This record gives sequence, C-alpha cells and structure tokens, in this order.
Amino acid sequence: MATPLPSHATDRKRFETGVWTLWTDRLMTVVIKFGGAMVITAVFGIFLFILFQVFPLFLAARVTELKSVPLPDAKFTILGVDEWGAKPFLVKPDGKMLFVDFATGKESAVPVDFGDSAPHEITAAAINKREQKIAVGTADGKYALVSPDYKSVAVDGVPSVSASPSASAFKDIGVPGAKVLDIAYGDSGAQKLVVVLQEMDGKKSVSALQLKRKHSLLGKGADEIAGTFDLTALIPGRPDNILVPSTGDGVVATTEDGTVTYLGLDPEGKFQPLQSFRPFGDLGDARIAVADFLFGDVSLIFGAVGGENRVFSLFYPKGGSVRLFGQTHEFPKLACRPTYLVTTLRNKAFLIGGRNEASLRYATTEAIRWQADLPFTATNAVISGKYARILFLDDERRLHFFALDDPHPDSGWKALFGKIWYEGASEKKWEWQSTGGSDDFEPKYSLIPLIFGTMKGTLYAMIFAVPIALLAALYTSQFLDPRLRGIVKPTMEIMASLPSVVLGFLAAIYIAPLIERQIPSLLLVTVGLPIAAAAFGWFWSELPIQLRKFIRPGTEWLVFIPILLGLGWILWSLGPAFESVAFVTTDPGTGKKVADFRYWWPAVTGASFDQRNSLVVGFMMGFAVIPIIFTIAEDALSNVPGALKTASMACGASRWQTAMRIVVPTASAGIFSGLMIGLGRAVGETMIVVMATGNTPIMEWNIFSGMRTLSANIAVELPEAPHASTLYRTLFLGALLLFLLTFAINTLAEILRQHLREKYKTV
Amino acid sequence: MNEPAPGKPDYIKIQDFSFHYGSKQALFDIRMDIPEREVTAFIGPSGCGKSTLLRNLNRMNDLIEDTRSEGDIFVNGQSIYDPHIEVISLRKRIGMVFQKSNPFPKSIYENIVYPLRVAGQNSRAVLDETVERSLKGAALWDEAKDRLHESALSMSGGQMQRLCIARAIANRPEILLMDEPCSALDPIATVKVEELIHELKKEFTIVIVTHNMQQATRCSDKTGFFYLGKLIEFSDTQKIFSNPAKKQTEDYITGRFG
Repeated sequence: MATPLPSHATDRKRFETGVWTLWTDRLMTVVIKFGGAMVITAVFGIFLFILFQVFPLFLAARVTELKSVPLPDAKFTILGVDEWGAKPFLVKPDGKMLFVDFATGKESAVPVDFGDSAPHEITAAAINKREQKIAVGTADGKYALVSPDYKSVAVDGVPSVSASPSASAFKDIGVPGAKVLDIAYGDSGAQKLVVVLQEMDGKKSVSALQLKRKHSLLGKGADEIAGTFDLTALIPGRPDNILVPSTGDGVVATTEDGTVTYLGLDPEGKFQPLQSFRPFGDLGDARIAVADFLFGDVSLIFGAVGGENRVFSLFYPKGGSVRLFGQTHEFPKLACRPTYLVTTLRNKAFLIGGRNEASLRYATTEAIRWQADLPFTATNAVISGKYARILFLDDERRLHFFALDDPHPDSGWKALFGKIWYEGASEKKWEWQSTGGSDDFEPKYSLIPLIFGTMKGTLYAMIFAVPIALLAALYTSQFLDPRLRGIVKPTMEIMASLPSVVLGFLAAIYIAPLIERQIPSLLLVTVGLPIAAAAFGWFWSELPIQLRKFIRPGTEWLVFIPILLGLGWILWSLGPAFESVAFVTTDPGTGKKVADFRYWWPAVTGASFDQRNSLVVGFMMGFAVIPIIFTIAEDALSNVPGALKTASMACGASRWQTAMRIVVPTASAGIFSGLMIGLGRAVGETMIVVMATGNTPIMEWNIFSGMRTLSANIAVELPEAPHASTLYRTLFLGALLLFLLTFAINTLAEILRQHLREKYKTV
Repeated sequence: MNEPAPGKPDYIKIQDFSFHYGSKQALFDIRMDIPEREVTAFIGPSGCGKSTLLRNLNRMNDLIEDTRSEGDIFVNGQSIYDPHIEVISLRKRIGMVFQKSNPFPKSIYENIVYPLRVAGQNSRAVLDETVERSLKGAALWDEAKDRLHESALSMSGGQMQRLCIARAIANRPEILLMDEPCSALDPIATVKVEELIHELKKEFTIVIVTHNMQQATRCSDKTGFFYLGKLIEFSDTQKIFSNPAKKQTEDYITGRFG
C-alpha cells in the first residue's frame, strides 16, 4: 500500500541545501547590508554638507600681517586707502599726497594742484569715505576738497590701482585766519556741509559752510555757497572734535569735558540743537578720546579716555516723536586710551585701538571679531573699502599691511539667536530682515522669529488636524460599516498624496479671500457643528430602541450627515447676520459704524488682521496633515486584536467604552506615531506656508496674522542669496535647524512610542 | 451554609433556534432547556455549531457582519432578541470566558474591575471588595494578591485564564458562558479551572463548550451533543456517557469519529 521510504544511506543529497539557495541568501545579505550602509552614509553626508556650509558663520576674523613699508620722515595728517587696500595715501602738511604701492612697497609723493601758488600748512583733514573726498583745513583758516581719484583696472583678476589726485581751490571758512583744528565733511550729492573747528587766541569756534550744487543744462554745474553758520554758541563747552553725517544735514560735536552736542539742520536752513548728552557721564573720567559715525551714519561710536567703548544710535524713544541718540551697545573696555577709531564702508564693523592694542569690533552684535597686541605702537589705521585689508601706521612711521579675512562679521551666536538692539529700533529685538533698500542697511539674521513661525504654523495646523484626524480614525475603525471603511480609507490616502503646492494655491487664491469675508460664519460653524454633533449623539442615545433598531450600527451617519450638512449651511448663512449684531465697530477710514470683523478684531484686540493668516494656514496645512495622521492612526486602531474588543463587549461595555478604554490605549503607540509623523510633515511643510502665510517674520500668536517658517524662508530667500554670503549660510543653518528639529522630534517620538508599545503590548 | 433553592429547569430556553453566517446555515432548529445553577456542557466535533450557540446566548454574534437568526432564546422567561432589550445590559447579566485568555493590557486590578467601571461603579471600597471576591472566586487570590497593580500580561497562561474568569464573574452575572476555557492550558491549570467550575455553579448557571470529554464528565451536570449544526442528544451527563440514546453520540464519545 505505502511506497517504501528511500534509504538514507543511498540518498544523502536530500538533506543538502541547494547551491543557488545558499548563494542567493549570501548575495542578498551583502546587498541589503550595502544598501543600509549607503542610506546611513547619504543621510550623514547631507548632514555633514550642511554642517560644512554653516560652520564659517561661527568663525572669528583672521588678521595676518602681509608686509610693512617704511615712510619718509615727515608729519602726516590722514591715512586713506582705495577699496582694494593696494594704494593707501597720506597727506603731508605741505599739501602733497604720499601714495604707497602695496605691490612694489615704494612710496611716491604726488603734488596736488590747489590752483594756488601760496603755500598753506595743512593742519586738519577728514575723509568722506563714501564720496572718496578729503576735506583739508589750513593754519590760516582755509579749506579745500581733495579727491584722490582712484582708478582700478583688474588685470587677470589682480587689481592695478592708479591715482591722479585733484583738488578744489582753497577758500576761506569760518573765522578768517584762524587755525583749523578739525574739519568734517558731509556730502549727500545735492548738498554738502563743511564744518570746521578753529582756534584763535585760545578761543575755539565752530563754523559750518553749506554748499549746494547748481545744476545747469550744460556740464556738471558748480558748488555754490548756500549758507554760512556760526555754531559756537550752540555748543556748550570747548569743542574738540566735530563730525558730520554723510547726509550733510547735521553736526555732532564733542567737547573737552565729554559732552556730545547734536545739531540738526531744519527745513528752513537753520541749525537747531536737538540733543546734548554725555556718553560716559556715569564714569569717573567722562572725557571722550575718539568718536566717529558708524557706517550708515545713524550710530555714533565713542571711545572714552579710560578705554570704555559705547555705541549710541538714533531712534525714536518710547513715546517720543524726534529721533535722538541713545545708548544701544556697550563693548568690553580697552586697556589703554584709544587713539584711533576707524570704520568701514562694507558693514557695521569698526577698529578701535591705542598704543599696541587693536580691536576689530562689530557694532550690531557687540562681538569682538579680532583683538591683538601688535608688535608696534599704532597711531592711525584704516580698513580698506572691501573689508579685506587693515593698514596701521606706527609711531616709527612704518606702514603695516594686514590681510583681513572675515567673510561673516555680521554673524555669530548672538546675531542668530540673541536679542539685539538694531539701529533705529527703540528696544532689543529678535528680527529677521536679510536685505534692505540701501548699502548701509543693517542685516538682521535672527532665526528666532522663523523658529517661532515654524512653531506657530505647526501649532495651528495641529490644532485643526489632530481632533479631526483622530476622531475620524476612531469612527472609521470602530463604528463605521466595514464596507464603507474600505472606501473611506483609500480616499484619505489619495488626499495624502495631493501636491502641497495645489493646496497652497487653493489656500492663497480661494480660501484666504473666502475666510477673510466670512469669519463670523466660520466662527458659527466651528463652534456650532461640534456642539450639534455631540447633541445629536446624546439625542440618539436617548431615542427608544424601537426607533433606533431601524438603523443598523455602523450606518448612523446616514441620518447624521444630512442633519449636520443642513445645520452647517444654516450656520454659514447666519454669519452676516451674526456679524451685524456682534462685530460692529467704527471704520477707521470713514468714521462710520460698520459691521465688519476685519475692523472689529484690530479695534478690540489691538492685534492686526491679515488676509493671509494663521487660520488659513492651519486650515490648509491641516488638510495636508489630516490624511497622514488618519491613515496611521486608523491602521493602529484597526490592528487592535478583536479578542480584546470582544472581551470588552462581553463585559457589558458599550462600543464607545470599548473604543475609549480598550482600543485607544492599546493603539496608543501607533496613534502617537501618526501624530508625530503629522507633526514632522507640518514642521517641514513649505509650499502651503510660502503661498498662504504672507511670509511676515513677526513674533505674535495672533491667529489673524501671518508668519514665516524656516522652510518657507529657505524657499523664499535662497534664490536671492549670493553664494557663500552670510545670508546663504544662514539659510543653510535654518536647514540644519529643521534637520535637527525633525531628528529630535522623531527620536523623542520613537522613545515614547517604544514606551507606549511596551506598556500596551497585547498577548 | 444553606443549600440554595433548586433552580428553574428551563432557566435558559432555546426555541427552534437557527443561525446563518451569510448563506451558510450554522445551527438548525435547536431546542433545549438549560437549568439554573447547574453546569451544562456542549460537546461535538469541530464546526458542529456548539460555540456559535454559546455566543448567541449573549448575542456576541451581533458583532459579526452578515449574520441572521431565526427562532428565539429566553433567559429567565424573557426573550433576548426582544427589540426592547438593550444588548449591553444583556451582556452585563451574562459573563463570558473565551477559549484564548484575553486580558486587557492593564493591571490585574483594572482587568477585574473593568465590568464595574464600564457600569459606572468607581467607589474604591466596592472595587477593592470585588477584586478580592472575584480573585478568591477564581482561586487566584493567593497568587495575585501581592501584585494586583502589575500588568496582567506578566502572568502565566493558566493564571491569565483564571483572571479572565475572575473578570467574567466580577459584576456578579447570572450566567457564565465558557468557550473551551481549558483548551490552551496545561493539566494542572485545567484541574484548577475545573475545581473552580464546581465552586462557581453554586452561584451561577454555567454553560461550557468543551472538546474534552473527560472534562464534560468531570464537571457538567447536563451535556448536549452537537453534530453538523444540529443538537443530536441532550440529557444528563451520566446518561450520555454511560448509555447514549443515539448511535452518533456513542460513536463520538467512544472516539470513532471527530
């Protein structure tokens, strides 16, 4: 009957595993290992790349000496430089300019033609860096404007700089014949202001000369004297230093006792004293050693005789209507008395120093970019226009060339995360504003408003999405007819794959204007529908069983949906009526009483109302997040063993009790995963927020204002960011933060999920 | 202790009951009277419908889609298919123990008080009293009293099954349904559960489905033999096993088929 089993002795091969089976097994093991390693390498590689891009933001400046050139034995009054730092000049008392060529190390004295044969001893000079003009004052009370007229030609990438200086004729200024001690020159193109500090017989005087350019049809036109002013009476005390902003509409004078007087030129052409203050009034020695305008001419840098260093900026004091100087920054004290203070045309950096101490500082961030003890005693210094070279003149008349490598002076921990007192602001702020209208704009790279915006957007999206997604998942998995479940679930999964740009487009073009007009309707529906749903649930449970038995469990929605839809429509239509009753306010434009939520909200709360607001984002981003949370949570809920549900039912629990007490806790790990993946999606979501938020980097929780998220910021600004600039690297830092944020969220989620899974694991 | 009053002989009355899973009929015109405070065993080969009938006694089959029933079942004179009857309160009267132990992923304590909690009972004293009574009733008190707040899933298989029994009797139901409660247990645990059934019948009407004929002889008072969805024979256990009236019954209990 039965076939005999083959003999073991004769057929050993039966037990051997096939060669191909073993080979495939080994091959697949290697392939899978390789694939896994590649994935880890790729992720790690991206991380490293971003890190590498971000790293330079946190580096200090590097300054190295290139060469030093000895100069002839003469007295020099000023040190100026071309933008490359290749051909600096010094002005000698006899009016000659001494140019030093960096490449050859040779100096050449070039006579300047003032159109005047009589010799004048130059006793004061000031450079207007922006216009590359030097104002010189003489011992006999005259002034002239000198221009070095640099021309640079790049030959094979190496700039070759030549200069052919020219000058205006000497003219009288101020007190006739009085020696000019200090001169300042402001030039806004249309109007120029020359201010001199003179001394005669021990009496100091300050005079100003306003020049205006008369435009003629032919040629450039000529400067004409528009007004002369004696400012001595307006300045209390004995002035020792005068400054003029490049706009040429004001004068700042410091006096020997450390008082600063700020005079402004009013529209009638008269100087008015605007402010008088003592920057170091709280110190024992309040005398000011050095003072200068910071690039942009809205901030003043002061160095005290004792080495203290403060920055004062013009801003509207709280409640004030005139911009006045107030202290915004304090820097670490220098050990010695500062003797020079130079600024640059590139950014808000300045170099302050005295004796052999030199410190390169950045005004915005209060950061010391570089500080060193020099091997010589510097008497003067200059930073090249490109912020690439620093030149020092020492007391032995040697000119030292230093290379300055500081690509991101405006960066650092404080700039990116700290609260900073920006120029013109009346308090410290976190602010993001990467570009402005002018060259002297102070970039604001605080990432805090963006992190805030990311959290705000995520929060509003989650507030909208989580209840809907979780309740929908619970209903679908526990209460809905299984046949319908088979339709609902794939539909939601298709929703998850909707491109977010479509959602963003819809939000910006359709939803935002709709919501803007219909806030009261929306309010009614949002409040009314959940209440109605709960009430309907209660009503249904109170119905006698004879009525309820006609509706099979799982198909209650057949009754429920039409009622809710109808109610929703009624509430939506009631919106305008509700608005005319509840949201009446005065239209700020016409002064009439209007019923308009858009005016009511700012009038009552003081917060703004924007069309592209967090409500729209929360609503639309919620749409992107709901399907993700729904799908994962629904899976988790459906996978709860039926035995547990049956056990609960057999204990006399209702469907709701079973769902809430048994199913939800058991599925909590999976639900939590869904929430976290949804959160990750909301944090990283870009297109919806780019299109529907207005991209305003503001920091307020107001639901009717917009926001700017880290991801949207990258999308909006990266196309405009010059390669390897501070902005470019800051955007990469934003990307790194997003990376770390998602990493942190996922890690935390995984830890919690493991914990929940351990707690609610089933047999 | 007073001997309890003799129970009604037709405490559960099953009248011409048929049951369909979709197009497949699982039960054919079952008619039987289950007496009060006795143990009634359902035996029969796999797929004979004994579990289906048991699950209909507390309408657990309602949870399965696409089923329908004919005929009626009365518990203590009241139809359980009466539309006035709330299924949830019906299930509160009828406890159930399943073939595979299914403790909730909660503590031992919370497992036992679950039927009370869903009934709205949250008084600490009542819950504590119930836990002790139910665990003693399920002969688990000594093993579990020091670990009431540990996870129920840390128990052994036999302990879990007795925990499920404790849970089923926690809210003092009138009837206890047991669906092959010992099939996944080792012999020692089985003996414990059987001893337990003996104890419990003083208080509850017990209906037990079993594959194990020794078990049916050991612990039941009445036995029903099912075959292919039909009730072949139903009488005292003694009679069924010593002197069955039907040939099929005899074949089955002597192991000729099934």
